[in-house]
Amino acid sequence: MREAAPQADLLRTHEVAKRYGSVVALRSASLAVAPGEIHALLGANGAGKSTLVKILSGVVGGDAGTVNVHGAPVELRRPLDALEAGLGTVFQDPALVPDLTVEQNLRLTGVSPERVRGWLAHMEVDVPDLDTLVKRIPLPILRLLDLARALAHEPELLMLDEITAALPGDYVDTVFGVMREWRAQGHSVLFITHRLGEVLEVCDRATVLRDGADVATVTPSEGDERTLVEAMLGEGAPTRTAGHRERDGAPEGPVVLEARGLTARTALKGCSLELRAGEILGVVGLEGQGQERLFDVLSGDRPFEGGELRVEGRPVKPRSPYDMIRRGVVLVPADRLHALLPQRSLRENLASALYNTVGSWLTPVRGERPAVEGTIERLEIDTRAQRQVRRLSGGNQQKVAVGRWLAAGFRTLLCFDPTRGIDIGTKEQIYRLLRELADDGAAILYYASEFTEAPVICDRIIVVYDGAVVTELDPAEADEATLLNAAHGLEENVT
Amino acid sequence: MTTATDERAGSSATTPGVRLQRWLRRHGWTIGVWLLLLAFILWYATLIPAFGEFQIASIARNSLPTVYLALAQSVVVIAGGIDLGIGALMVLANSASARLMEDQGFAMTLAIAVGVVLGAALLNALVGLLIAVSEIPDVVVTLGMLFVYSGLALLVLPSPGGGTSPGLRFLFTGSETGVGTNYWMPILMLALPTALLAWWMTRSRRGLSLYAIGSDLGAAYLSGVSIRRAKVVSYAVAGGFAGLAGIALTTLANSGDPRFINALNALLASLAAVVLGGIVLGGGVGSVVGAVAAGIILFTLNPILTAMGIDPNTTQVVRGVLIVLVMMVAGLLEWRRRRAE
Repeated sequence: MREAAPQADLLRTHEVAKRYGSVVALRSASLAVAPGEIHALLGANGAGKSTLVKILSGVVGGDAGTVNVHGAPVELRRPLDALEAGLGTVFQDPALVPDLTVEQNLRLTGVSPERVRGWLAHMEVDVPDLDTLVKRIPLPILRLLDLARALAHEPELLMLDEITAALPGDYVDTVFGVMREWRAQGHSVLFITHRLGEVLEVCDRATVLRDGADVATVTPSEGDERTLVEAMLGEGAPTRTAGHRERDGAPEGPVVLEARGLTARTALKGCSLELRAGEILGVVGLEGQGQERLFDVLSGDRPFEGGELRVEGRPVKPRSPYDMIRRGVVLVPADRLHALLPQRSLRENLASALYNTVGSWLTPVRGERPAVEGTIERLEIDTRAQRQVRRLSGGNQQKVAVGRWLAAGFRTLLCFDPTRGIDIGTKEQIYRLLRELADDGAAILYYASEFTEAPVICDRIIVVYDGAVVTELDPAEADEATLLNAAHGLEENVT
Repeated sequence: MTTATDERAGSSATTPGVRLQRWLRRHGWTIGVWLLLLAFILWYATLIPAFGEFQIASIARNSLPTVYLALAQSVVVIAGGIDLGIGALMVLANSASARLMEDQGFAMTLAIAVGVVLGAALLNALVGLLIAVSEIPDVVVTLGMLFVYSGLALLVLPSPGGGTSPGLRFLFTGSETGVGTNYWMPILMLALPTALLAWWMTRSRRGLSLYAIGSDLGAAYLSGVSIRRAKVVSYAVAGGFAGLAGIALTTLANSGDPRFINALNALLASLAAVVLGGIVLGGGVGSVVGAVAAGIILFTLNPILTAMGIDPNTTQVVRGVLIVLVMMVAGLLEWRRRRAE
């Protein structure tokens, strides 16, 4: 088969198209992956990357176009067809059933636990016990389990759909190691990511999708990040205008949110911070240093044991998020669908926070429409799939998550990794929005798992390590190396 | 979230002690329900002067239909559905078998029993197919089936009557007359199907696929599970057990009873058993073994209250209170565990 193939490509798709109802997800995507290469698939959110991967993995059927493996056309009707054709996938969403153990999940898919265990050992991941319920396993480990399971099928082409989005840095390196090894064995990898740094680091070639069609195939080492971004966004790509702006002599705002020595079980060990009106305060930290708990506590979702929390000078001991929302402190979580009503419409979601303000059961909500319409306009939310929020793209969903607070009004915004898995264009819109909000006097606490983000949009940066704030940095001096050092709790005299 | 580090650290070493602990925690509810059943039976034993083989045989025998129906409902609920027609299907199987088996020999009645079970499985498989293809919610379709099955039962057997062979009565009740002290036969008829179903649900690929679609449709699909097939299978298995429940009823009473109220009572008992048995409405979590104990508990309340000299009409109240109480205790335990994290 391989010898008889007219071309050397391992995988070649030709003008693949897919529409969901009236929404065109993929217009015409052509892609060629050679044997023994790591090939990046790039594109803004909604460009069609995930749809293409779903077609190639047999999860959805394409409407048009052909898929060839080693020159022979393949029909991909079910996930099993793809596996038999040598295409293995790690999907964007975890594909392990939460209420079953890992071992049962492997049996469900007919994968030998021994092989998976072998790969996990190879990756030096410490989960040899497969008799654990999947829902008890932290997300980063789940991603690696997904990867190990895909590898156990020995696919010729390994497709990774944003696997690094939910991974801390050390695991990203692990995944890169596996990808390189897979290439060294003569297999190929199709790698989808929003992090261009990763593309430059590990990929041999990259195909860029825009609006459902392939627009360029480049060799990343030749171009820089800029060209990739331009290819993704089309001509006239905006520059990073959202960069940190020195305030032109504006006075420091009053402290609106203050934490002093917060402790919570083993997660927070005396965490202190001051958040002022009109500023964006960045939080930086490695995975599991207590930042998640910090945001949970500040948003009233989980209790704290010791220390003090003050909102506008008054001590608060919130029992539920409602207590904080009432005081104008609201959360935008990383898991967008967790915060939204996925099956309800865009407008209902935007108005949902308004219902809190209804004074009496019988008073109709006033001013709902203008507030909602204004928000849609301001955030430039794509309203094509507005009937159900879960059908919106990730970036648009995140805009809705921010937007509903916009409609309801707030004074302090807690953003926990709001740009996870969002393309650059939408990211910049969100940066710009946050900056505008801060200029209008809002206080914003911003955590980003990507270290390059915080210096771009924040006025100050604090670093959390082992449940406490260990240092404060000036964004102007905080390059990635400085941040990494600080995040690892290393001595670095920058303050 | 915050348990991430604990999990990472804790997972590397799995001593037998850790395994046992985890097994106990994972099956805590099932074990709890069985202990509750044991407590009830012991309690019952102290209430009446002569507790012995006769009582055990009676409890085992008479709870057979409820247990089979609890198993049936469990399978559907674990797979993320709910079957409101299951009680009516039992009544249909009861009516049809009683009518067909009247004045027949053992071999013939056994053949009819097999036929009725398979027929019920096939009927309900069609219901599953209808749900899977049309994507109409389970509740709606099976609510319709509740009336369809009940109507069919009345067509088959317009008024209570019919019969079966002594041999088949022995097979289910351990006695050719339906009364006696042989408890091994009914206990075997309880244990064997339960064990087979429990094994199939948690060990076989097909059984696991039912848990998978109940737990997370998306993940199940990405894992290569055929959603439709799993759905149809869940309803087919439930139908088979509803058929079995109908046969058990026929052998217990030596007749069939097509009345609608029987279907409703049986349906509600099956739902109560599922909930009390620790199977989460919504799917993916729980064990059929727990539902069996819960089914027997619900049945045992009758003789206990009678022995205590309490008006039997109170039974319903006690049942309801018991269900709510157990759920509250479970909720409290869950809340405490969450707080501890």
